Amino acid sequence: MQLRHGTDKRPWTFYVLAAFFTLFVSFLYGPMCAIYLLSFQGPNGGLTFPMHGVSLQWFAALFAQHRTGDFAGSFLRSILLAVLVLGITVALSVMAGLAFRRRFVGATLVFYLAIASLIMPGLLVGLGIGLMCQLVGLQPAWYTSALGAQLTWTLPFGLLIMFAVLSRFNRFYEEAARDLGASAWQTFAHVVLPILLPGIIAVALFGFTLSYDEFARTLLTVGPSNTLPLEIWAMTTNITSPALYALGTLTTVVSFVVIAAALTALAVLQHRRAQRRPHAAVTR
Amino acid sequence: MTQSGDIALVNVTKRFGTTVAVENLNLHLPHGSYCCLLGPSGCGKTTILRLIAGHETPTAGDVRIGGASVVGLPPVQRGTAMMFQNYALFPHLTVLDNVAFHLKMRGVGKTERRRRAYDMLTRVQLDPFVARMPAQLSGGQQQRVALARALITNPRVLLLDEPLSALDEFLRLQMRGELRRLQQELGITFIHVTHTQLEAIAVAEIVVVMDQGRIAQAGPDPEIYTLPRNAYVARFMGGHNVLNGTVTAATHGMATLASASGERYAVLLPPQTITVDDAVCCSIRRDRIAVTKAPPGQAARPTEPNAIGGTVHAIEYQGAYVKVTIQRPGHEDIVAHVADSDFFTQHLDIGNRVVARWAAEDVHLLETEHGCKTGRAVVDQPYGWACDMPAM
Amino acid sequence: MKEGGIAMKLSPRIVPYLQVAPLTAVLLVFLGIPLAVVVGVSFFDYDDFAVRPAFMLRNYLELFGSSLTYTLYLKTLTYTAIVWALTLAIGFTVAYFLAFHVRTFLWQMALFLLCTVPFWTSNVIRMISWIPFLGLNGIFNQTLIALGVVDKPLEFLLFSDVAVVIAYVHLFTLFMIVPIFNSMARIDRAVIEAAVDAGANAWQVIWEVVLPLSKSGIALGSIFVVTLVMGDFFVVKIMSGGQSASVVLAMSNEIALLQYPPAAASAVVLMLLVMLLVAAILRLVDVRQELSG
Repeated sequence: MQLRHGTDKRPWTFYVLAAFFTLFVSFLYGPMCAIYLLSFQGPNGGLTFPMHGVSLQWFAALFAQHRTGDFAGSFLRSILLAVLVLGITVALSVMAGLAFRRRFVGATLVFYLAIASLIMPGLLVGLGIGLMCQLVGLQPAWYTSALGAQLTWTLPFGLLIMFAVLSRFNRFYEEAARDLGASAWQTFAHVVLPILLPGIIAVALFGFTLSYDEFARTLLTVGPSNTLPLEIWAMTTNITSPALYALGTLTTVVSFVVIAAALTALAVLQHRRAQRRPHAAVTR
Repeated sequence: MTQSGDIALVNVTKRFGTTVAVENLNLHLPHGSYCCLLGPSGCGKTTILRLIAGHETPTAGDVRIGGASVVGLPPVQRGTAMMFQNYALFPHLTVLDNVAFHLKMRGVGKTERRRRAYDMLTRVQLDPFVARMPAQLSGGQQQRVALARALITNPRVLLLDEPLSALDEFLRLQMRGELRRLQQELGITFIHVTHTQLEAIAVAEIVVVMDQGRIAQAGPDPEIYTLPRNAYVARFMGGHNVLNGTVTAATHGMATLASASGERYAVLLPPQTITVDDAVCCSIRRDRIAVTKAPPGQAARPTEPNAIGGTVHAIEYQGAYVKVTIQRPGHEDIVAHVADSDFFTQHLDIGNRVVARWAAEDVHLLETEHGCKTGRAVVDQPYGWACDMPAM
Repeated sequence: MKEGGIAMKLSPRIVPYLQVAPLTAVLLVFLGIPLAVVVGVSFFDYDDFAVRPAFMLRNYLELFGSSLTYTLYLKTLTYTAIVWALTLAIGFTVAYFLAFHVRTFLWQMALFLLCTVPFWTSNVIRMISWIPFLGLNGIFNQTLIALGVVDKPLEFLLFSDVAVVIAYVHLFTLFMIVPIFNSMARIDRAVIEAAVDAGANAWQVIWEVVLPLSKSGIALGSIFVVTLVMGDFFVVKIMSGGQSASVVLAMSNEIALLQYPPAAASAVVLMLLVMLLVAAILRLVDVRQELSG
């Protein structure tokens, strides 16, 4: 097999698999590239190829409200909601993850509740929350019911990440801190939190992007004003112009910026701590 | 006397759920001594360390440092500091900040605490590494950082949890000397947990041998090695062979014992009375046994006491001596440490029939579990006692 | 004087409960209660004008009595099975490549991230990006024509079952790759070397060693893919061009018509089926070790 026999020669299977991998990556990115290209479609161009010139017209069209819907408003709402979800998810997941380090009554129940939340189809959750609001007489809104709906999707992810991170956390750090005179709060702030920071950044990343792109759960719970994915959805049901593609490009750019920020933060942290193989759960 | 690192464990029991880690333990260690807690895994030595440190609370009994009870106090208020087995250096802080951590928790200003941390690191010769991260240091260097981090708290007791087990052999031997020197320089109490017998007797003044949550023997290291109290310690320290027998005669200052298979041992009569038919346990040091090849044709069992016949089963060269394991019927193997000159002159080999002999003066009486009589006054407690140490 | 126990402001035993309470509260309020409401509403009465609280089995009877239900479920389950098989095959291969053929840790992470990044962008966008790609004038058809493989554009590529499956695979393969890669990365390389040492060839190593040891990752990935496909409605709607339907799509139509009780009944049945499938997978494989890191 291809194990490190000490030779540099790679077996033929490597090339086959590498080719397959390249195919897969192009499968992943290829169609999106079509969108990015088409968003620069010329003024007379249609929804598909060929390109009739290159222009930024469709990007401009997004900001003209009457043609394409409330882009700016829904964009703002999406960002705000995502930030809210990020904050709440980080806080609640970190706390709950810490709780699970000890045994407590109902731990298994909470765990299964989180798993159930993960696998429940989004539309069902949205339906349930919508009905619940109706019964209680509450008006659904993006900052209440949609927020809660999105949390049912992000919190389980956050919790699972915290599980993975905390399972590798050496409890002796806390004991050492205590030994050196740190109070419970000092131990948390100066030792636990900094060491968990990469995991927390991961949770934050999940929280933001899952919320920013969330669609099914938000559909029935958002109330009168849309988030961006819903705007996009409204547009897809009657695709009439490449403005949709322009929207797609823009929203993807935002996502990429957030991802890049998170990854940079992680890379900086790793570099500063000069950890050699943080993922080597195998060989230890 | 302000900073006394005098330690007393009084009737201490510690249970984890249904498991009893330590039972009814009594121990007294004077200030400024270097003590080793020695024993196999699961014997309770780490539990005792953590009880003294304050990372565990006793289920019953009291822990006293400097005469005052410390149960319920956090480690820093006890005046103890711990060096953890895998060092537990904070991976997100530099070496300097790791050492300065305690001072930061105390609220000492940044420049001041960094200066003091730097001084401490100079003492352990790590000043070139102050800006490094723990992951960038070698095992020995990490250990010294852990040491510096503990010492900066100015403890009266330093607790070391298997400090040398993560190091390679060469470094281990080197660090032994350094730890000893450090303790003498600082004058505080060191409590060092280990499972390596030779390390314990090399480094400590007092060795506490533990067995399943109880103290088997506590005393100065030469005593532990040459005068074990019972079969467990004799076997665990690896310096003795254990012999069992029933008294057949007790006269003229000598008691004669006969083993189940008919071997005979003679032991100097102790001050306390031993009567015929008493079951007695004794031991003989491995390096006090003379091994010679049995002349051909001789009967398998020699007739004089303190001599046994057997077959050489294994040979292990250890440099200054050779470890010879002799098999004999109906008993556990006898191990003799034969001087290498002696060994090679005789050309001993595996399969040779040999005779092992020793003097009656070298036979040492042990306690048995059934309360056998020995020459010592023992406080009547199963395996644990208040260890009255001569003033050091 | 202090007795036993550390003098802390809070008893250490209460702390975990306080820490886990907010998360539990959110999940109970936004998942537990809503699901209970759905179950309750599924028994309600309704007509063209209003929904009336009641307890009747009418919705369920209508659901199970209609042949449409079975057709929909058959369709959805077929999609699920095909997508599961494809994502498993692709996911396993990609994960295998990343875990065993990529040498340096840096490259492993970089390529892994490369696969993961599309996940962070909008599903809707990714899905509709297939439309210009597979359309009659799309890139794929134009390439095929240019290469001379076909004379006319292939019609079945878009707005068909094929398009739906392609979109599903595009969106959800990642959910297979991540847990399987995680499982594989944990396999002690020495175990594989021991297998080679004992005479196993490449295929045997995969079948006898790698596959069994990646079981929990495969199970986790399967759970994700199955639940995501069964719970989907927008992919089916767009990519099939309205020709196909799925269970949840029918449900969303009923919701649009404000016919909540039958939608709720449909939801309950779907929930039960999904939970059954997940329980079946968990029965086969213990996923606990996967989640404990």
